[in-house]
Amino acid sequence: MSDLPASPPGGPVNPVPHGSGPRGPAGPVGVIHDIGYRHYDGPRLGRGPATVALAVHTLRGVFGLGRPARSKIIPFALFGIMMLPAVVSIAVMAMVQQRAMEYTPYATIMQPVLAIFLASQSPYAVAPDLRFRVLPLYLSRPVGLWDYVGAKLAAMAVAMFTLLAVPLTVLYVGELLVDMPGPPQTSEYLAGMAGAVGYAVLLASLGVAIASFTPRRGLGVASVIALYLLASGVSTVVAAVMESVNDYAAAGWAWLINPFFLVDAAIPVGLFGTEPAAPGAYPTGVGVAAAIVLMLALIALSMVALIARYRKAASR
Amino acid sequence: MNGVIAGISYRALLGRRRIWLLVLLPAVLLALAVLLRVIGADGERATVELMRTFAIGIMLPLLGLIAGTGVIAPEIDDGTVIHLLAKPISRPVIAQTKFLVAASVVALFATVPTFLAAYLLIGLESGVASGFALAALVGGVAYAAVFMLLGVITRHAVTIGIAYAVIWEGLVGNLVPGARRFSVQQWAQTVADQVSSSFFLSTEIALGFAATALLVVTVGAVAWAGLRLRSFSLTGDE
Repeated sequence: MSDLPASPPGGPVNPVPHGSGPRGPAGPVGVIHDIGYRHYDGPRLGRGPATVALAVHTLRGVFGLGRPARSKIIPFALFGIMMLPAVVSIAVMAMVQQRAMEYTPYATIMQPVLAIFLASQSPYAVAPDLRFRVLPLYLSRPVGLWDYVGAKLAAMAVAMFTLLAVPLTVLYVGELLVDMPGPPQTSEYLAGMAGAVGYAVLLASLGVAIASFTPRRGLGVASVIALYLLASGVSTVVAAVMESVNDYAAAGWAWLINPFFLVDAAIPVGLFGTEPAAPGAYPTGVGVAAAIVLMLALIALSMVALIARYRKAASR
Repeated sequence: MNGVIAGISYRALLGRRRIWLLVLLPAVLLALAVLLRVIGADGERATVELMRTFAIGIMLPLLGLIAGTGVIAPEIDDGTVIHLLAKPISRPVIAQTKFLVAASVVALFATVPTFLAAYLLIGLESGVASGFALAALVGGVAYAAVFMLLGVITRHAVTIGIAYAVIWEGLVGNLVPGARRFSVQQWAQTVADQVSSSFFLSTEIALGFAATALLVVTVGAVAWAGLRLRSFSLTGDE
């Protein structure tokens, strides 16, 4: 290496002024002591690759990779539970030639599992950095606030998408291999995958935004799951009440309080015209547009909240 | 019971952001009750459904989880529990004090709103309000004990707690009748059924089993948490 220091490492420490810029005539002068550490002289990749590295690191951490074995148990156990219906359905298709699980309702049937995964893992993505106040360290690098938030959101969204897309794809491949009577349900599969993108982005935005408001992991988990259970509970109760007074239009709107049914109404049902996964029908006509707008608004709101939260956290 | 520890635990539980969750859950229950009242769907059946699915099914486990883990898990998480454990205070007394704090908070935030919501809808008719208030009290105390024990045993107490409440009690309990025998919610509903004479509330567990189970689980969890604290080791977990 050309720029190894002249004095051997660990030798007598002579203050070697770094560079030869203009100096003040008197008073204390700052010097950087070169005590023989090797310098980094590889390529500096800049902002884009730094953001990607942060996202990949977060994504690995969400599944517990690169963390102790204990941290892998919960994400992989939940992933296993997500795979169960697909595996069982393939077995049923192979043995009695019947479909046990459809593509588009997969996410809404498994919504407690997805919600628990979101609740247990999204605080991991944001809480440690807030708690140990290392945000200024990230932001002193080329990574900016938007890059940081974007990387965290992208990692969580990819994790949620994986959780849904892998079982759906396994189910589809299984259906092709079993060779069910009739044409393969390719359009249903594609609708399910498009829905998975919607679930992933909406859930990740909501989960990370809620979790970022507390530096404590336990409270973050509890907040995310509490808000999900509240939304689903309120949605069920209000819809049931509206149906009991024969107001089916209002009941349709009530289902949309649950974020899972909101995405279901917006993408698979609204854009692809599949059967609703909720126990009742969603609002039609303007309701589809409203569901899509509502979904996008929730995503935007979460991002605004995240940016506001991190502006404040970074300034401390 | 140790007054100083109780004071610190109350402050940790009620002084920070945790309180907002503890207030939000009962507030939503009361809002739903008002909505039902306004719409005019305030029959006995709707009230029992609201109590069963929302008050006992969603609000109670969440309150138990937030209060039960909240009294001890944050201290273990950031290591300050070592100052507590270094004091010459019997560890079972620490566990009992923390449990009493959690149980009193759950009792207050669950029992009163449950009674109010039911009272708002049908008054004192056929003992629904008092039945579910008692159910919220005993169920909340049991949840507080179980989730405090979880907080002492594992760092992932909240996740395991919600997995129990949502997957075991919610999903499995709805599909597999046998699982209902091992569910705090079902025991609490049995107690409510005993007090209330409503036709719309029917449970399949005998009161003797439910009451015994509630007692054993509560006392056992607190005792186990005390034992566990006696040989507590602070290990780093990432």
